[in-house]
Amino acid sequence: MSWKRVCSANDVAANSLKQFDVDGVPVLIANLGDEFRAYPPLCPHMEERLEESGICEGGLLTCSKHLWQWEMRTGEMRGEAEKPLLLYELKQENDDVLVNIEKELEYEYEEDSEEDDDGFWD
Amino acid sequence: MKVSGRSKAGKFTFECRTGERILYAGLRMGLALPYECATGTCGTCKARVREPATIKDLWPEAPGNSYLQRERGEFLMCQAHAIADCEIAVPAKMNSMPEDYIPLVSTQGTIVNSRLLTHDVMAFDIELADPIDFDAGQFVVLQVPDVEGGRAYSMVNYERATRRLEFIVKKKPDGRFSEWLFSSKADGTVAELCGPLGRAIFQPEEAKNLLCIAGGSGIAGMMSILSRGCQEDYFKDHGGTLFFGVRTLNDAFFLDELADFVSAFPDKLQVTIALSDEEVASIETPHNGSLNFATGFVHIVAAERMNRHYDDVVAYVAGPPPMVDGAIRTLILDARLPADLIRYDKFS
Ligand SMILES: Cc1cc2nc3c(=O)[nH]c(=O)nc-3n(C[C@H](O)[C@H](O)[C@H](O)COP(=O)(O)OP(=O)(O)OC[C@H]3O[C@@H](n4cnc5c(N)ncnc54)[C@H](O)[C@@H]3O)c2cc1C
Ligand code: FES
Ligand code: FES
Repeated sequence: MSWKRVCSANDVAANSLKQFDVDGVPVLIANLGDEFRAYPPLCPHMEERLEESGICEGGLLTCSKHLWQWEMRTGEMRGEAEKPLLLYELKQENDDVLVNIEKELEYEYEEDSEEDDDGFWD
Repeated sequence: MKVSGRSKAGKFTFECRTGERILYAGLRMGLALPYECATGTCGTCKARVREPATIKDLWPEAPGNSYLQRERGEFLMCQAHAIADCEIAVPAKMNSMPEDYIPLVSTQGTIVNSRLLTHDVMAFDIELADPIDFDAGQFVVLQVPDVEGGRAYSMVNYERATRRLEFIVKKKPDGRFSEWLFSSKADGTVAELCGPLGRAIFQPEEAKNLLCIAGGSGIAGMMSILSRGCQEDYFKDHGGTLFFGVRTLNDAFFLDELADFVSAFPDKLQVTIALSDEEVASIETPHNGSLNFATGFVHIVAAERMNRHYDDVVAYVAGPPPMVDGAIRTLILDARLPADLIRYDKFS
């Protein structure tokens, strides 16, 4: 296991996002008011920094660049989004926010790699 | 040239004419290819080509290229010609086009009647040989012989089957098209144009109250939307609220036209001019009966004035990208609008 302390609970205001560096791995912490979540820092659409482009409201995260949206608790897609958000396992111990980083999570920005025999299309 | 492609929605093929951009060819055929700016800046139209030698990159320095992984054959469909039959893959979802979609055409027109509206905003018209249709809120890409590359400009007027398109351009320091236009050589120039483009369109059948937030030249498409609403008596039954942000009163324009809209539908239309760099109390404001004035950034003024009364609203936002992002923030945090009721154009 590699649980790492990211920040203290009051480092991230309610309904906001803040990016941290955890031993070289960038992690975006979201404070939902009653809980925290941890995601990779870039929008799965066009790699914008969600710390700047992300808007948290009513449990939804919206990227202001092209309005992709996700359920903050689960990372599930809403509206225009075409890829779910990835989540790191997270726990809170007293005032500390910890995430479990086995390896850095990254989105596949390229498409259709698996279905293709020749890596392009069939 | 034949373009064969596929996206998550399935396979498609279309014909791309010699000298035609792949994006425009696909849109002309009614394919819902992804795009926003259509002019090389936003990166939204990226796709992958199997054989890079089958396409020609028209603008290798395009800012939108920063979103590409070149080694994987990624390119911008709005900045590429097909020079042979080619195979492409589009990463976006590609929803189908709406039934009443107006197909894109490539045509020519003559620039006429260029005129200054303020010290740094110029209006001009284009007279077309053949009439075209467009929806209120749409834009075209213009290209003139003296300036390399196309530029996106939103139509100000609204008319079906029109032979006249009206535009405004804000002068950008060292901007090549705007400097050219301001040098007063424009009238009589024949421009190539492609359009209509843009999905931030007024859809009267939605029967919602309109909330429009414009920064600077972003007012262009809003004028078209308000014109259509007035022409078709939309504002008899539906509200319309416009916030128009400029620096100072000297930078504001279309005030007479906006006041006319308001006097036609005084109960339903509201227009507020937001001055970011000038105290309203310190100046004398025109059209006081029909136009409101406020001090502050336009998206902040909008939030204050709406005061959480966003009843059955669809929102339109246009202007410089930071202003659009700020307005989107207001619309999500303050108006709590779902994303599909926010229509935007970033004038990047
Ligand atoms: C959807 C949309 C609607 C817009 N509507 C309006 C409007 O109604 N009024 C208004 O004033 N502005 C509008 N703009 C902005 C406008 O398109 C121009 O960016 C702006 O006028 C500055 O142009 P410029 O030539 O003066 O500046 P420049 O910096 O010279 O060029 C700006 C843009 O032109 C294109 N471009 C530049 N060089 C090349 C090249 N070599 N090859 C290909 N393309 C090139 C790029 O898109 C670049 O971002 C809109 C933009 C968008 C995306
Ligand atoms: S970059 Fe986030 S929605 Fe496009
Ligand atoms: S649509 Fe091609 S870069 Fe914006």
